[in-house]
Amino acid sequence: MNLSIILAIAFGGALLTYFSGKISKKARDVLAVLISLVIAVILAFFYNTSSREIFYTGFLDFPLILRIDTFSWFFAFTIAVIGSFSIIFSLSYIRKKGNTDYYYTMMLLVIASMIGIILSGDLVSFYIFWEIMSWSTFLLISYNRGPAIAAGIKYIIMSVTGSVAMLVGIISLYSHYGTVIYTELSGLLYNASSGYTIFIFVLFFIALGIKNAIWPLHVWLPPAHSEAPSPFSAVLSGTLIKIGTYGIILLIYVIVKINVFLNLGEGIVSARYIIAVTGAITILIPTFIALLQDDAKRLLAWSTIAQAGYIILGIAYGTSESVASGMFHFFNHAIFKALLFMVVGAVEYRTNGVRDLNSLGGLIKKMPVTFVGGLIGICGLIGVPLTNGFVSKWLIYKTLIINNSPFLAFAALLGTWGTILYSYKLLHNMFLGQLPEKYEKLERAPFSMQLPIVILSLAIILFGILPGLPLKVINSIESGFGLEPLTINIWGITSDTGTINMLNLFVAVFLIGIMIWLIFKGSKKSAGIGQYDNYAAGTTVPKNKYHYSVDFYGPLHRMISPYLRDFIDDFYMSLARSIKNLGNGIRRIYTGDVGYYAIYIMLFLALLIFIQIKWKLW
Amino acid sequence: MVNPILLIVIPLGLAFVVPLFRFISKKIEKFIPFFALLANLIISLTLFPHVLEKPIHVSIGGFLPPLGINLVAGPLGILFAMLIALVGFLVSIYAFAYIKEKDQEKYHILYLLLLTGATGVVLTGDIFNLFVFFEILCISSYSLVAYFGDKPGIESAVKYLIQGAVGSSLVLIGIGLLYGQFGTLNMADIASNIHSVHSISVFIPLVLLITGFGVEAAIFPLNAWLPDAHSSAPSSISAILSGIAIEVGLYAIVRVVFTLFGASSILTFLLFLGVITLLIGELCAFNQENIKRMLAYSSIGQIGLIVFALSIGSLSGINGGLFQLVSHTLSKALLFLAAGYMIFRSGSMNISSFEGMGKKMPYTSFAFTIGAFSIVGLPPFIGFPGKFMILKAALFEQDILFTILVFLILLATIIEGAYFFRVVQTIYFKGEKSTPGQEREIAPLSVLIPVFIFVGLIVVIGIYPKLITEILESSASELLNRADYIKNILP
Repeated sequence: MNLSIILAIAFGGALLTYFSGKISKKARDVLAVLISLVIAVILAFFYNTSSREIFYTGFLDFPLILRIDTFSWFFAFTIAVIGSFSIIFSLSYIRKKGNTDYYYTMMLLVIASMIGIILSGDLVSFYIFWEIMSWSTFLLISYNRGPAIAAGIKYIIMSVTGSVAMLVGIISLYSHYGTVIYTELSGLLYNASSGYTIFIFVLFFIALGIKNAIWPLHVWLPPAHSEAPSPFSAVLSGTLIKIGTYGIILLIYVIVKINVFLNLGEGIVSARYIIAVTGAITILIPTFIALLQDDAKRLLAWSTIAQAGYIILGIAYGTSESVASGMFHFFNHAIFKALLFMVVGAVEYRTNGVRDLNSLGGLIKKMPVTFVGGLIGICGLIGVPLTNGFVSKWLIYKTLIINNSPFLAFAALLGTWGTILYSYKLLHNMFLGQLPEKYEKLERAPFSMQLPIVILSLAIILFGILPGLPLKVINSIESGFGLEPLTINIWGITSDTGTINMLNLFVAVFLIGIMIWLIFKGSKKSAGIGQYDNYAAGTTVPKNKYHYSVDFYGPLHRMISPYLRDFIDDFYMSLARSIKNLGNGIRRIYTGDVGYYAIYIMLFLALLIFIQIKWKLW
Repeated sequence: MVNPILLIVIPLGLAFVVPLFRFISKKIEKFIPFFALLANLIISLTLFPHVLEKPIHVSIGGFLPPLGINLVAGPLGILFAMLIALVGFLVSIYAFAYIKEKDQEKYHILYLLLLTGATGVVLTGDIFNLFVFFEILCISSYSLVAYFGDKPGIESAVKYLIQGAVGSSLVLIGIGLLYGQFGTLNMADIASNIHSVHSISVFIPLVLLITGFGVEAAIFPLNAWLPDAHSSAPSSISAILSGIAIEVGLYAIVRVVFTLFGASSILTFLLFLGVITLLIGELCAFNQENIKRMLAYSSIGQIGLIVFALSIGSLSGINGGLFQLVSHTLSKALLFLAAGYMIFRSGSMNISSFEGMGKKMPYTSFAFTIGAFSIVGLPPFIGFPGKFMILKAALFEQDILFTILVFLILLATIIEGAYFFRVVQTIYFKGEKSTPGQEREIAPLSVLIPVFIFVGLIVVIGIYPKLITEILESSASELLNRADYIKNILP
């Protein structure tokens, strides 16, 4: 099986989907799901293989190369699976919205280009797929109109800014070393001056950091993730920003190599610490900003930035536990964030677009499956034991503490504390509490939404109890990077500094659960009381007058919000405004009076002659 | 082998017989440019393989150079002739449905003359002959800008005329000075003797020619005519002005600098001039509400980028510059044609009037989007290899100056992206969501066919740039090897 076939299916399928939509809507839906599943299935067969092929020689003098190894397989497979779940979820979500052909085509195009990026074996094809991804994402973010337009333009401008910086980096590497192929570049920077290495690092980090939404390059993410159609938000949050993560790992561990990276600078001013600290800041600030959000999707968007901070922290910290935790957290986050966006999407779908956490509530009775999905999703996000998030966070805490980085560890722990608060707010304000009267007749989410929600929820539990499955893959990636692999078994990790065994935990939790259940079963049942059967000051509370979820965490909100204005965003906006003003100012050169124009011509001529007479340059 | 002189004779001859065809049928006249340029396209394509082997040169009237006028069809000339014929041909199809008002006969005559002038400039080997063709090009474009006869059209045509006239006079003075010194007008002859005289007496004609041609090539600060002229001309003419006329101006400068004077020392100056032109063009376009003015300013920016690339002066730099030139010609012509028809339908040049066009005119909107993405330099469209080659050439100099200039260029790219993406969003995502019953107003075939041929070329060359890199490489080496050029003509 050829790698180029995967890309042919992915890109060809995207186009085919568009035209099939013109013939039959059913066929298009089936085709879209089928293509995304086929890609995932084919990729599954590439497990534990490695191959490399030149797939195109027509682009200037650069043979474009595809390659697969465990590292790229891990990312590509995750992306393909999350992508196909999102497409299944879209089936009913997008039906009401119109422009469906366009939607599916763009969705498949985004997935195809992401897989293209991951499978690329040289920086030029990486860049080409990267740009295709950027513009197709832009077209899909803007899909919802209204506020989505501003979100889209913010995204694409930042994205283009990043990618031009990266292009300079790529071409600069080419001009120095005469190659853009990973395997040939690998380790060549060992002999480069550290100034040059830092130059390359900065250029790539602008692009990768913007995509990965590292603070202070994160400003595109909250509006883009919240305004995009929900299944696409799942793709954005779950996989698209992880392309940035992939790029960072690629840069540090494949191109620059770990030994050069760890020796870049000393102590606090080393690349390793600067990136790790940036990761820690990316955890802290966005976590607390997430706490202030009242829009469910915006809350999740900020949470995504914060979780990406954990990943960056893990990857940049450079120990084998931390890198494993970074990659494992990437995998986990892809699952639970996609799940949470789907949960919010299902609620949004049934309530006709309501995502305001102040006006929802009590939906547990109406949408029980969605609720359970949301519950498991936030458990994973927080890192509750027996969910996958626990293992990755355990690894990062452990390695930070053992390697004497108390401040970074504190940031990670504080981030989790904030995560608990905002995740609970999300779940509570949507599903618990009182049910507004207008939602009395709400139906369950349709099957095509419940299916991905259930599967992803099960995956969270599965990889929480059996963390060895992904860790085995991660281990073989790590040995490829020259890091020492962890000692693992299917249930957990054993090492001299700390051991976790999810089997023991599972048994313990299971037994405690049974005990609690038995106690409750044996004790007297509490009486059930209707939602409106309550009294205040001796009189009944009028229906729908009060909504208890409003102003959730009010005091905390008032306490922290003055410190958490997104001043970075303000800065970028003022930058944009000043460019606009500069443009308007410069336009005044063209006065409209042709007399001036003739003078310009003569002045130009005079200037040229003057320069020559004065300095004899030519 | 066909004689390259036909490339000039056919459109020139047919231009003058347009009024005669009127006696047969009034419907015929609009097909004349179509056939003339089709013939030109075919001729230049058949000449193309011969030219790659050895440049063809034709002496008119049997006088061998340096006496008499001669035509030189080298790779660069044929590259330009091909582009001119291609764009001219496609735009003439577009004009079938687009040019309906006023006196069509005049439009077609002037259109053919404009393209004759352009082809003449790129094929001639005689500096004065170049000036003559250049004037044909300029004068017919002045009149075509005013074709609609409305106030803004006439006003900007007059402004264009005044600035163009200043430029032309400078060119004429420059040529006069050269003739006075060398006693010949043959470019190869002048080129072979250029280093035999004192540098200042060569320098004055050089700057006169650069300034004079620079007006047409829209280099800052000589480009003030462009936003007015491009926006008030008929869209088909805007496409030609942006896609052909300013490129021909640029050709003249390049020919003068590289071949005639071999003045590589002025390149550093042009390098900065290119970047300034680029930045100013993009900044002016950034907040522009009028779509055609926006495209016009964007052309200024693109020209700046091309000037920058050509002034790097290395083979790969010139190569990249020429690629970007081809890319700009195709993309900008496409954008003007697509936008032109949307303006025709919506009746307004305001960007906000494009709201909902994505539903109303899906094909035209799609084509516009491709053009916009290509101009910004996104893969897999033709703009990307161009930008890539330019950056590669600049960074291969391994010079801190070039690195800084590259960052300025990329800043301009970001600004350019911002305003183009804004228009794309306006077309597809702004305005009321359309109801399913809304009527589509699909553009006529004579608009869609040329537009989609441009789209096809943009995508195909974008994916397979090797299609044109061969001719670009030999054109670039023609520019760099002046000795070969001279030897070819004066054995």
